[in-house]
Amino acid sequence: MSAICTSRLGKSYGDTRALCDLDLDIAEGEVYGYLGPNGAGKTTTIRLLLGLHRPTAGRAELFGVDAWSSPVEAHARVAYVAGEPFLWPALTGAETLELLANVRGGTDTAYRSELVERFQLDLDKKIRALSKGNRQKVQLVAALATRADLLLLDEPTAGLDPLMEVAFRDCIKEAKERGQTVFLSSHILSEVEALCDRVGILRSGVLVDEGTLAELRHLSELTVEAAFDGPAPDLGPIDGVRAERAGPSALRFAVSGPVAPLLKALAAQPVTTLTSREPSLEEIFLHHYDAADGGGS
Amino acid sequence: MAAAASATARRRRVGATLVRRALRDARVRTIGFAYLFLIVAYVNASAYASLYPTLKSRLAFAASFGNNKAVVVFYGKAYDLLTAGGYSAWRVGGTLALFAAVFGIFAAVRALRTEEDAGRSELVLAGRVGRTVAMRSSVAAIALTICALWVGEFAGLALAGLQAGESAYLALATASVAFVFAGVGAVACQFAPSKRGAVQIGLAVFVACFLLRIAADTSHGVEWLRWLTPLGWAEDARPFTGAAPAALIAPVLATVALLLAAALAFRTRDIGSGLFAGRDFSRPHYSLLGSPTAHGLREERGSLLGWVLSLAAVGFVIGFVAKSVNRSVITPSVERELSKFGALRVASPIGYIALSFILVVPAVCAFMCAQMGAARREEEEERLETLFSMPVARLGWLGGRIALALGGAVVVALAAALATWAGAEAAGLHVALGSMLEAGANCLPAAVLFLGVAAFAYAFAPRASSAISYGLLAVAFLWYLFGSLVSVPKWIINATPFAHVGTVPVEPFRGPAALVMVALGIAATLVASVRFRRRDLIGD
Repeated sequence: MSAICTSRLGKSYGDTRALCDLDLDIAEGEVYGYLGPNGAGKTTTIRLLLGLHRPTAGRAELFGVDAWSSPVEAHARVAYVAGEPFLWPALTGAETLELLANVRGGTDTAYRSELVERFQLDLDKKIRALSKGNRQKVQLVAALATRADLLLLDEPTAGLDPLMEVAFRDCIKEAKERGQTVFLSSHILSEVEALCDRVGILRSGVLVDEGTLAELRHLSELTVEAAFDGPAPDLGPIDGVRAERAGPSALRFAVSGPVAPLLKALAAQPVTTLTSREPSLEEIFLHHYDAADGGGS
Repeated sequence: MAAAASATARRRRVGATLVRRALRDARVRTIGFAYLFLIVAYVNASAYASLYPTLKSRLAFAASFGNNKAVVVFYGKAYDLLTAGGYSAWRVGGTLALFAAVFGIFAAVRALRTEEDAGRSELVLAGRVGRTVAMRSSVAAIALTICALWVGEFAGLALAGLQAGESAYLALATASVAFVFAGVGAVACQFAPSKRGAVQIGLAVFVACFLLRIAADTSHGVEWLRWLTPLGWAEDARPFTGAAPAALIAPVLATVALLLAAALAFRTRDIGSGLFAGRDFSRPHYSLLGSPTAHGLREERGSLLGWVLSLAAVGFVIGFVAKSVNRSVITPSVERELSKFGALRVASPIGYIALSFILVVPAVCAFMCAQMGAARREEEEERLETLFSMPVARLGWLGGRIALALGGAVVVALAAALATWAGAEAAGLHVALGSMLEAGANCLPAAVLFLGVAAFAYAFAPRASSAISYGLLAVAFLWYLFGSLVSVPKWIINATPFAHVGTVPVEPFRGPAALVMVALGIAATLVASVRFRRRDLIGD
């Protein structure tokens, strides 16, 4: 059974189309990175997955339970971290954790104490006196401590400092080892690259690309640079390769598809150095946004 | 020189913008209060002549009510109850001074602290606006809103036919109270850690000043205490009874001193917090955290206590004053007017209690609106999103909030009834406890109806729900009050639910009407629940 399954899921607010024909199928135990700039529809997706907003098209299921018609059953195995850490200002951190544990059920209090240590949370401070990052940590500890089968995280590291970001990554890796499913909405590419098995890229409410990092790289272009002993030669047209000058005696190739035809053509040339580099997630991401609207994302 | 001149011009421009912004923010509240001042002044001043047409009736009134300590507690010392002006100075001046004080506190906190706590002042002060300009603009805006109250009271008195100069002077005495308490509020804003704390400090000072005035007016030998309270200064200004304008020097000096102190403190403190640090740390208290409903009770218990105490205080005063009501106080003309509300024997202590208790009914309804407003804030501030991401059913949560509101309403209504009974007993008037509890329970059917209205508004128009529910409540109750006083056809008055609430304990409890109200309230709540289950949560 899939942890998350949506079919042709869509949401419009009045005339504004926030999400369109989303098909997700995320297996149990998978760590899924959900990428997109602000306003792409990441939070809308999560609100639909949680049944907080009503889909205008299609449906969403968590562990096979419809998110809109049976939210309570659907949430039984889910923990959620909201993008904006709004909590009850008058409660202290400890009281907030207690309330959330009571309402959610299934909290591992020993693990929670460990998490409090790791995130260096000050539990005696009232929520109203905490910074955004610290409120975010309260939410994270509450969610992680449930050891829920599915963690829905909406930009969970916004406001965290680099040390806490490391602690967060460790926790997600541990969750993965335990077999928990993680849905990580983010626009921090390095975080997604470091943690996720599979990535979906959302643009203006449409899932424009999806796959493992290897698959995404495979579909994207490989960059190969070659330096020559003497002036750069003219190799003529090669299938799936775009060439450009990278200096008086160097060429840069953008290779989509197999690299063999290029190697064959280079074999006859006086090549001194040859480097190749896979595209970073950032390049894949920017590729999708540049292609569509001239760089405006 | 040119640069300095242009800087001054820019400061003026920015200041004017900030003043306009603050006035727009305050306009509904200000217009509401100015209207209230106008109505209270006009109704009281014009009613005097028709209620007490003869010298004999005026003397009787002055002898009984004017010397009744319970009444003096509310309105202050009466200097002359034989003329419409003297009566207005006591009755209108006494009532409106209290409203003016509360207005001053809230106006100051709203203008000087609410923006700041919401983080918006940081945006203003991060620009090319100094703190001095920001503060002066806020103070100017507050002063303008208080002027609006002055106009309202003056217009009400003058329209009722009182002498214009004296009317303006009485309204000025009232406004002086608002100015001083705006100063109190401004200082409180500098010290309190949050706007809520500032309101609490301001209201505490107000209560202290009120108690000082009561002591000065009701006890012999301590009349000088009146000099310590702005409410006393307004009395000592003696409008309509031999004006003593020198008494108004005190409020002027106090306002200036308070504002200067606030300005000095404002320059030294951090934006977003007060000179007194708040209690940001606390040992955990784990009671009432077991479920969303239990936690709802935890969040609302302070406000519930406030409602209970204030309605109990009102009830106690009603009960305490009741004993002194008799034929000599309620003249036949007064009785004719009041009997339009339905009470059969107004000119008796029990009739007075029944009639006064009618005021508790809309208060309990307002409590319902407030409770649904608190539920709405949970959603608006996105805390509901956190709750509903857990195994919490929407209907279960809403049901819990409704149960809290209902339970709270029962407590509030019965507390008012018990306090009325206790007040009557304390004054030596025996009222059957059972019949007072019946009067308390009599509030509940209308409250259930307004709970339904508020739940309906919350489900269908969450962002406008408070305005809708309080608005309908105000329209319904004023409809009843004014409809009953000016003789309009019965069917028009009957359109408001309050026409169907019996004046218990003088009249019997109206069972069928109560049943209809409860049924309508439940129906509205059910429709609201269906809608609430099916709509998107609000929040950004």
